[in-house]
Amino acid sequence: MRKTLKLAKREYLAAVRSKGFIIALVLAPVLMSGSILAMALLGDKVDTTDQRLAVVDRSGVVAEALVAAAEQRNAQAVRDEDGKKVRPAYVIEVVAPEADAAAQRLALSDRVRAGTLRAFLEIGPEVLHPGEDAEARAIRYHARNAAMDDLRGWLGWPVNTTLRKARLAEAGMDAAVLDEMLIYMGVEAMGLVERDATGEAAAARRSSEGEALGVPFAMVMLMFLMLMMGAIPQLNAVMEEKNQRIAEVLLGSISPFQFMMGKVLGGLAVSLTGAIVYVALGVLALSYTAVAFPVPYHILPWFFAWTLLAVVMTGSAMAAVGSACNDPKEAQSLAMPAMMPVMIPMFLLVPVIKSPTSGLATGLSFFPSFTPMLMLLRQSTPAGVPAWQPWAGLAIVLAATVLTIWAGGRIFRVAILMKGQPPTIKNLLRWALRG
Amino acid sequence: MNTVELREVTKTFGKHVAVDALSLDVPEGCVYGFIGPNGSGKTTTLRMIMSIFHPDRGDIRVLGTGGAGADTDRIGYLPEERGIYPKMKLREALIFYGDLKNGRDLPREVDRWLERLDLADWGDKKIDALSKGMSQRAQFIAAVVARPELIILDEPFGGLDPVGLETLKDAVLDLRKGGATVIFSTHDMHVAERMCDYIFMIHRGRKVLDGTLDAIQDQYGQDTVRVRTGDGAEALAGLAGVERINDYGRLQELRLAPGADAQAVLAGILGRTRVESFELARPSLHDIFVRIARPETEEVGHA
Repeated sequence: MRKTLKLAKREYLAAVRSKGFIIALVLAPVLMSGSILAMALLGDKVDTTDQRLAVVDRSGVVAEALVAAAEQRNAQAVRDEDGKKVRPAYVIEVVAPEADAAAQRLALSDRVRAGTLRAFLEIGPEVLHPGEDAEARAIRYHARNAAMDDLRGWLGWPVNTTLRKARLAEAGMDAAVLDEMLIYMGVEAMGLVERDATGEAAAARRSSEGEALGVPFAMVMLMFLMLMMGAIPQLNAVMEEKNQRIAEVLLGSISPFQFMMGKVLGGLAVSLTGAIVYVALGVLALSYTAVAFPVPYHILPWFFAWTLLAVVMTGSAMAAVGSACNDPKEAQSLAMPAMMPVMIPMFLLVPVIKSPTSGLATGLSFFPSFTPMLMLLRQSTPAGVPAWQPWAGLAIVLAATVLTIWAGGRIFRVAILMKGQPPTIKNLLRWALRG
Repeated sequence: MNTVELREVTKTFGKHVAVDALSLDVPEGCVYGFIGPNGSGKTTTLRMIMSIFHPDRGDIRVLGTGGAGADTDRIGYLPEERGIYPKMKLREALIFYGDLKNGRDLPREVDRWLERLDLADWGDKKIDALSKGMSQRAQFIAAVVARPELIILDEPFGGLDPVGLETLKDAVLDLRKGGATVIFSTHDMHVAERMCDYIFMIHRGRKVLDGTLDAIQDQYGQDTVRVRTGDGAEALAGLAGVERINDYGRLQELRLAPGADAQAVLAGILGRTRVESFELARPSLHDIFVRIARPETEEVGHA
């Protein structure tokens, strides 16, 4: 064990003293916060040029109201308090319907292409009382990129309000009360009510997207970063030490297992250093900035436990695969499949975070190589998971880690001095099973 | 007492038998030379002594311990292909390797060795800044800095210039004087002849020679004539009683056929050319090596 720790210490010092580590430690959060900052900045930088919309209203009910709605919006929402234009004004151009609808659509499309129009809206003749004829009741928005268009998003509300008002008026409703009838009420997202220190009910906190998405994503991204820092590089590092004969010199002093574990523990120390730095920065940032949610302290012990196991498990597997590679080419071609157990959970983040307690999310979070990331993700969501699940996951991951170290150690022992045998799945399995 | 004992040791890789039923005793405090053609099993044998490989069959005892548990702290190992962390500074790296073997008083010991092998000015340089010869000497220090009782050197002298070779040779002999047992493999027969108390030759995984140089040479008797003549090798072609001629340019080494009379051979040569020197000798280790390792070409060499 002492020799393993001596090697781990060397690995750790070699890594943290390198410029690369310092740069990665500083650069990663700078890049991350930079991209968030860039998104925030660019989010404000919308194109404020006026947007001209041609409306062909075959129903004769909507166009006039739409012009009024656009004027009202332009008066209220286009300029901020300082009078600075922050959004584009919508200019509605009412175009009389022509008998040849197809030719008119083509002409209007040409105008959009020429740049004199942003888009055109065609309102079917039967929208007030939609019947069986799908063409007659359609409202169609034509633009270069119609699906991703703020103007189209805005149109839905005034068009439908106009139609509803018209229907209600037809039904004999008093025009004076129509506006009130159509007031829209939003639904606020709130957390559960907790007991305060006196046992009384405390005010429930407003549930924020930052808490629901930000914390889980940040936790898992941080774990991924730590894996990239301390575990994934083992593949190339071991391959290089095998190629440079450093391995054989070391094997004169330590056993292959001590060698592998020294490297894995060295990588773990690197990861934990990075994790401590980032978590400390994150806690400071949350404590001293005006964000709407507290530091999720209850998750931090789990974060470190999962990260520790993930780095050891992945690091052992990477070291074993690296020991089987004879040159950088082989290492490169194995890097992708070897990283899959780490990459797959990254692709599953969105479905799992959307419904963290679903059967699929629960099941996936018990697959050993996904457990650290997905269980942590589910635990970090405000909904949380049943108390037994993290412990059961921990037991599974512990068992998987021991198994990986055992199999990895056997592969490592055979492969580290072997030349000319390609690192095929068959060979790796054979070495793991037969030793 | 023997420092290393191998009993009927066999190691195979797939279908290839690398070492075949090998038995060997390396007495304490000697210099033991391993010779043999490339791929004959030298490195595999050395790695088994180091417990880097485990034999398929047979027993190995090293420094009194059997099984796989050889105490690597008491063994220094210089592998054939060199490898020290290229980004580490030399002194730091040597202390690290010594520390891995639980060596004592390492900073002083490292400085002593750096001084001794003319590397004192390079202690603070990174390994990848060293020349090939320097890194070889550095690696030698890494093998011996923890004062091991058994030192295993795989091709320690390959690629060294004459000065480097002399320095390293003296260091090896001093280690033996200090009580260490040294095993080294080499392709340089002159080095083996001059340095080794015992020589062991392995060929195709099997032991073919084992003993002192004298004992080995005695097996072959005085069947070698070293001759220098006025006309070189051409004058010796087809000479009766000569089995093979090794032409070294200014000197020819003749191997006498079994039962051939050296005097008759001398007379034969004198009948053809002027003899400048004529020496009846035992075969050199080089010659013995070639006789064993190249029997098929020996047939062609028959004069």
